[in-house]
Amino acid sequence: MARVQLEHITKRYDDVTAVDDVSMEIEDGEFVTFVGPSGCGKSTTMETVAGLTQPTEGQVYIGDDDVTNLAPKDRGVAMVFQNIALFPHMDVFENISFGLRLRTYDDEEVHRRVEQAADIVQLEGMLDRMPDELSGGQRQRVAIARAIVRNPDVFLMDEPLANLDAKLRVHMRTELQRLHRELETTIIYVTHDQAEAMTMSDRIAVLNEGRLQQLAPPLTCYNEPANRFVAGFIGSPSMNFIEGELVDGSLETANFTVELDAARLPKVAVGDAVTLGIRPEDVHLTAYADSLAAPTEPIDAKTDVLEPMGDEVFVYLLLAEGAAGSMEEDPATSPNQLLMSVTPDTEIEADQDINVVLDRSKIHLFDAATGEALVHGITGLEGPESGTAPTEAE
Amino acid sequence: MADPTDSTDPTTADSSDTNSNDGSDGQPRDPTLRRPDGGAVVENDRDAELDRGPFQQWVSDSISHPERVYRAMFYVAAIFFLFTTLFPFYWLLMVALTPEGQLQDIVFTPNGFNPGAFVEVFQVIPFHIYMFNSFVIALASTIVVLVIASLAGYAFGRLEFPGRTPLMLLVLVISFFPPAAFFIPLNDLFNTSFAILRPITGDGTLYNTPFALVTPLSAIFMPLAIFILTTFYSQIPDGLEDAARVEGTTRLGALFRVIIPLSAPGVATAGVLTFIAVYNEFFFSFLMTDGQPENWAPILDGILAYQGQYQVLYNLMAAASILGVIPVAILVVIAQEKIVSGLTAGALKE
Repeated sequence: MARVQLEHITKRYDDVTAVDDVSMEIEDGEFVTFVGPSGCGKSTTMETVAGLTQPTEGQVYIGDDDVTNLAPKDRGVAMVFQNIALFPHMDVFENISFGLRLRTYDDEEVHRRVEQAADIVQLEGMLDRMPDELSGGQRQRVAIARAIVRNPDVFLMDEPLANLDAKLRVHMRTELQRLHRELETTIIYVTHDQAEAMTMSDRIAVLNEGRLQQLAPPLTCYNEPANRFVAGFIGSPSMNFIEGELVDGSLETANFTVELDAARLPKVAVGDAVTLGIRPEDVHLTAYADSLAAPTEPIDAKTDVLEPMGDEVFVYLLLAEGAAGSMEEDPATSPNQLLMSVTPDTEIEADQDINVVLDRSKIHLFDAATGEALVHGITGLEGPESGTAPTEAE
Repeated sequence: MADPTDSTDPTTADSSDTNSNDGSDGQPRDPTLRRPDGGAVVENDRDAELDRGPFQQWVSDSISHPERVYRAMFYVAAIFFLFTTLFPFYWLLMVALTPEGQLQDIVFTPNGFNPGAFVEVFQVIPFHIYMFNSFVIALASTIVVLVIASLAGYAFGRLEFPGRTPLMLLVLVISFFPPAAFFIPLNDLFNTSFAILRPITGDGTLYNTPFALVTPLSAIFMPLAIFILTTFYSQIPDGLEDAARVEGTTRLGALFRVIIPLSAPGVATAGVLTFIAVYNEFFFSFLMTDGQPENWAPILDGILAYQGQYQVLYNLMAAASILGVIPVAILVVIAQEKIVSGLTAGALKE
């Protein structure tokens, strides 16, 4: 049980900066997930907490102690590795008790604690098996038991579910949440799977290119992303981004215009380039727009491809006249394409001319130059100051 | 195997008969039709079987099934190696069993039967002490080599540090030095009296102590062990070492608790090779002691001790040689089991 604090952690290799000035504070008992694309520095950041990597600059605190220069064994952390890393020459009991046997516990205590840990992860009766006789999920549970048996202050998990099959992964996800509730230990969890991050964490730390992008509860990251990267990374399918320019009284993009008073936006002025972000589920057919409090003007579009997912249908829309879906263009960032998500009972087919509206309360604006979020929801920002409080910007 | 009498060979006649009888090709083949190399022209495989002698037949079969040749070559090579390695042992046994003075013209059987030679070796000289000396020296060298080479192998195999490759090359280069080049300076050094060594060796020199053998022999056989262990240790996944370190070991602890046990086949190989090499070593073993059993003289000196000024007890030398091989043979049998049962990294998903 301990607070973890990172202060200006930087890790440089010869010519690469893996982690760049990351600072964060993780509360006692919190479940924090480091998420980001491959090579974003999330594993390296965790390794600096574990002590397996020495940061080039910065300090790591666990509890009230500066552990930056302590060996991993003296930090009170336990870790579950992506490749599970059970010792193949030891049976399950020896694997779980490895850490205990290195310390001064008597045999009885070791047995008691191993059995208790095995009980928690439901491994009773398997203590004398060798790792190669276990299934993937069982090995994973042994690795978790090995970590919890020592009552660590901080529990580190480096993509522990990455090597499991999809079904088992979903199952282990709930098991881990249950485990966290039971142990009430601080857990730092690394994953590149945003579904894992969203479902399990108290807070998500989104990292990209070694920098911390946002540290916030999952729904905050989803609804109020701090910048364009977080907006695009969290949520599946990704948010639509459309480049535009602020003109007097509106935001003009290549194919449509959104009424907007630039004077009421922070940090930008008329003439600046901004990026409009809208999630697929916030794009609606005009026919269904009545329920929206603040729809935009209808936008002409043509359906391109439909992807029925069962519970929803993804519709790829072409905005420009004569625009064609192109393999080279990422629909999420193309100015001429828009991804819409509709309910499966919507009557819609491919190559159909339709009108869509965007939900103004769900439009995100980002500074095109820095990618930073300007405002989340532009309800009431279409005219000059009228007394309606603008939605708070992050 | 072109046999000029082929055309009159009854098998050839048979072949023509068969051909004409089944009438498949209408015309009986001209039995005098010969190929330039002397072999008979044949129309099909059946003719070939009938036309050729067993060796020719085997050759033609082998051309279409080359694996037969490889198997034959394997047997030839295996028998050759078995013969060249085992026959000297057989010969040694014959010499050992032949009573003294009857060694003339023994061919494949001993002249008489005298197993008592295996007891006599211990009565004539204290051969067991020589064996003990050799065993201790080989064991000590093996332990020294394994410990130091393990640390070196860990550094070379698992750590990134500047100058790793040049250092590795240096180790390689040193292993190419002829050991004889070290002998004169070492012998001089080991015969120098050091005050600090007086409590240990009496006169302060290392000559006539096991150290005079263990130190140079360990150094000479170290590079090979370093190379073997570097290869093995570098293949142990980083995750296992990280796991051990997070669980509470130091790097050194992880080496001894996880990496070495998982590299057991490599450690066994390096250990066995070192043990055998030191046990069999001649040059330093012969020169670094004065040949007296109480002065840590190894087996080599023991065997040579049966050679007196007026008499050479060949049968006892042979018996002693056989006895000397036994510890190594036992070691190899045990270690082989260890190597074969080598642990696999089954628990790790990579």
